[in-house]
Amino acid sequence: MARIHWRYGPPLTQPVIDIIKLFHQKSFSHGVIFELGLILSLAGSVVTLLFIPIGTICPLNVAGGLLVVLYLMLLAPIGIALSGGGGSNPNISIGISRKMLLALSYEVPFLLVVLTVMIHYKTISLVSLVELQRASGWGIISLPLTGIAYFLILPAMLGIRPFDMVEAPQEIASGLKVEYSGKFLVVYYIEHALRRFIVIALFVNLLLGGAGEPFTFLVKMLVVFVICVCINAVFPRFRMEQAIRFNWTWPTMLALAGLVIACIWGGYG
Amino acid sequence: MFYPNALFGNLLIVAFGSAFLTYVLGKISQSLRNGFAIIISLVLVLMVAGLYGLGKEIVYFRFFDYPLLLRINALSWFFAITITVLSTLSIIFSLSYMRDTPQLDFYYLMMLLVNASMLGIVLAGDLISFYVFWEIMSWSIFLLVSYNKGPALAAGLKYIVISLVGSLCMLVGILSLYTHCGTFDISQLAVLIASAPHGYIVFILLMFCIAFGIKNGIMPLHTWVPSAYSESPSPFTAVLSGILAKMGTFGFLMIFYILLGWRVFLYLGQGVLSFHYILCIIAAITIVIPNFIAVLQDDAKKLLAWSSIGQCGYILLGIAFGTSLGLAGGIFHFFNHAIFKALLFLAIGAVEFRTNGVRDLNSLGGLVNKMPVTFMATLVGACGLIGIPLTNGFVSKWLIYKTLILKGSPFLAFAALLGTWGSFLAIYKLLHNVFLGQPSETHKNIKSAPFTMQIAMAILSIATIVFGIFPGLALNIINSIGISLGFESLDVNLWGIASETGTLNTINIFGAIVVFMFIVYIIFRTGAKSVLVPQDDSYAAGSYIPEGKYHYTVDFYNPFLRMVRPWLKDRIDQFYYWISSTSEKLAELVRRIYTGDLGYYVIYIILFLAVLIFTQLIWKPW
Repeated sequence: MARIHWRYGPPLTQPVIDIIKLFHQKSFSHGVIFELGLILSLAGSVVTLLFIPIGTICPLNVAGGLLVVLYLMLLAPIGIALSGGGGSNPNISIGISRKMLLALSYEVPFLLVVLTVMIHYKTISLVSLVELQRASGWGIISLPLTGIAYFLILPAMLGIRPFDMVEAPQEIASGLKVEYSGKFLVVYYIEHALRRFIVIALFVNLLLGGAGEPFTFLVKMLVVFVICVCINAVFPRFRMEQAIRFNWTWPTMLALAGLVIACIWGGYG
Repeated sequence: MFYPNALFGNLLIVAFGSAFLTYVLGKISQSLRNGFAIIISLVLVLMVAGLYGLGKEIVYFRFFDYPLLLRINALSWFFAITITVLSTLSIIFSLSYMRDTPQLDFYYLMMLLVNASMLGIVLAGDLISFYVFWEIMSWSIFLLVSYNKGPALAAGLKYIVISLVGSLCMLVGILSLYTHCGTFDISQLAVLIASAPHGYIVFILLMFCIAFGIKNGIMPLHTWVPSAYSESPSPFTAVLSGILAKMGTFGFLMIFYILLGWRVFLYLGQGVLSFHYILCIIAAITIVIPNFIAVLQDDAKKLLAWSSIGQCGYILLGIAFGTSLGLAGGIFHFFNHAIFKALLFLAIGAVEFRTNGVRDLNSLGGLVNKMPVTFMATLVGACGLIGIPLTNGFVSKWLIYKTLILKGSPFLAFAALLGTWGSFLAIYKLLHNVFLGQPSETHKNIKSAPFTMQIAMAILSIATIVFGIFPGLALNIINSIGISLGFESLDVNLWGIASETGTLNTINIFGAIVVFMFIVYIIFRTGAKSVLVPQDDSYAAGSYIPEGKYHYTVDFYNPFLRMVRPWLKDRIDQFYYWISSTSEKLAELVRRIYTGDLGYYVIYIILFLAVLIFTQLIWKPW
């Protein structure tokens, strides 16, 4: 990222160092809800990860498939939002409000994308989705519009520019995480990183064919991530209304068209 | 077996008799009446529980040689047990909620009467008894909705007018069935109706669907719901939303799958234009729009009311879709919605009770430390409503989505999934504005909810989670209902459903979440100690934080609402008001004819005769 900005950035190991350092620092708490909400969100993200096949590794593949993942992904925002409600900082409140609305705006195309993929491959299990794609080629080739739609909402789902109004350090002092210090910030960072990992892993699984072994899978994820970082580096920030409007026009239209095509192709009335 | 028969024969006598006995006892002693009301509702629970697995019918009354029947089967047992359990909890909750209100004898009489009439509806074996119990229920609802007087009276009036339209439609349907088939008995009708022409069946279905749709609050017929729910006393609202409105669901199930049977019902019309598919589309609309209207509300009970309408959409969607998974999902969602929506209404009732009737979301806040049990109850109820895994709402929604996706109806599935986001935003607003954020100055010294309220809420919260982790407890019964209605059996086990196209296993999810909560917590504890600081000690990155308390979640979703508000007006309600005002004007015109002067009346008669003679002379119709 710094390379794109033509400046020197911190080393790659900096996040790890930060986390170890923060973990041993003194922190401030606002009570039980403040702490439990955060723990709930991290646990929710970890559990979600267990349902997503990384290569062939998928610890909980028999427990309900993609629909469970969709709903488990709600645990983390609820946890964070509850935790934020325990404090009384106006910046948190603005952050939560923006996070919820942003989520609503990207969920519309996202749900369409997920449904298209499920309809196209006639299964609700992520593992069999990956197997079917390995047999018949990547999903993005047979469902190009859907693939483009997912790619357009990726920045919003990852919370990076041009959709980083949830954090917006310059406007609302990083929003949600403004009250977190020490180990709270550690949990928040890890949760945030996991969230990004989940979103990209879903993209790879749904449309880029997944992978036979974890290494190929991680390489695919890395490629997607680097592209996203490039987008992050060159764009300014949207306002809230602009973000909602964007997500509800182009990605939604593309995803809807993709769904209609998949329906006709699949022979449904 | 002797005693189930005796239980069944005496169930309604006990239910109705005890309602009136409660009123009489209330005249003697307050505590006697309260104790009797609770004991009798517990007795009813036990009586219904004792009827488990019974399938029989009895003639309880002969009306001009015409036998009136009571019949029990798996479906009516499931509804009956939900009814009795929920009204028991609601009466327990009422003990402290209604304590200082006038006319309590009347209140308890009506609560028990509603309970009894619902039992009558689900056990009725012929359409006459069904209609009679239905009317008793409708009128008791009216009296209870308008119990608080003032705005409640207007809400009750609105309800009863709309409800009467539904009752009349149902009466037309029943009488038409009688003239066509010559019987009121539902099981005989089911045989006779199979040979009727499709057009006639659609007409009958339409009549009944209007009646049941009104009770259930399906989208174009929902307008009585928000005002009636928000003005009625909270323990009754829980019953109203949880089960009374779901009598419509029972009606749908009865007319679709018992009276007609799925072989007839699912093949009325072709493809997208078939009757059940149009119902599905209506249900999908009912899911999406009310859930987003709920986001706009500032009144806690109105918000829940709109979200209730939305959830009824899921139930109808599952039932009308007509696969065994969908049916199981619909019935299970009825059961779950009864639990978690009753829980939410009771919790809001507890808040209302302690804050002296404040329901405005913008003037509440920060109650989590004062009312922790109520907060937990609301949280569990909210998770159930959204459908977070480990709550019962998740399992039923999962069943509905799965059948929609696998049977190739992605647009219905999309509507259902989108509705979840609407309810997520709405219920989070409720949770945040009531319990989180800063407490208002006037609510500094609020006490926790009274014990009887906490008991009712705790039982419902535990039920929400238990049926989320072990859905098989209820799904087994629902599966037997499905089989009795002629659907294929599902492979149900204690924690989910197994099938070759995707299994659900809640125990895995439960285990994973508990284990990781624990691990994260342990790691979290090993970090450096944290210091507990007061809530308003905030970090503002050097900028200014306003002095004093303020409620910063007012206009929580403003950027979004600015965009969607013009789309979400309740046009249907305005349309009904337009009809009522226009008909009032028409009536006014008609009234002008009657001047009160005898001479005018003579002229009218002569004119009418002249018209008759004229017609006869010209066209000779007679």
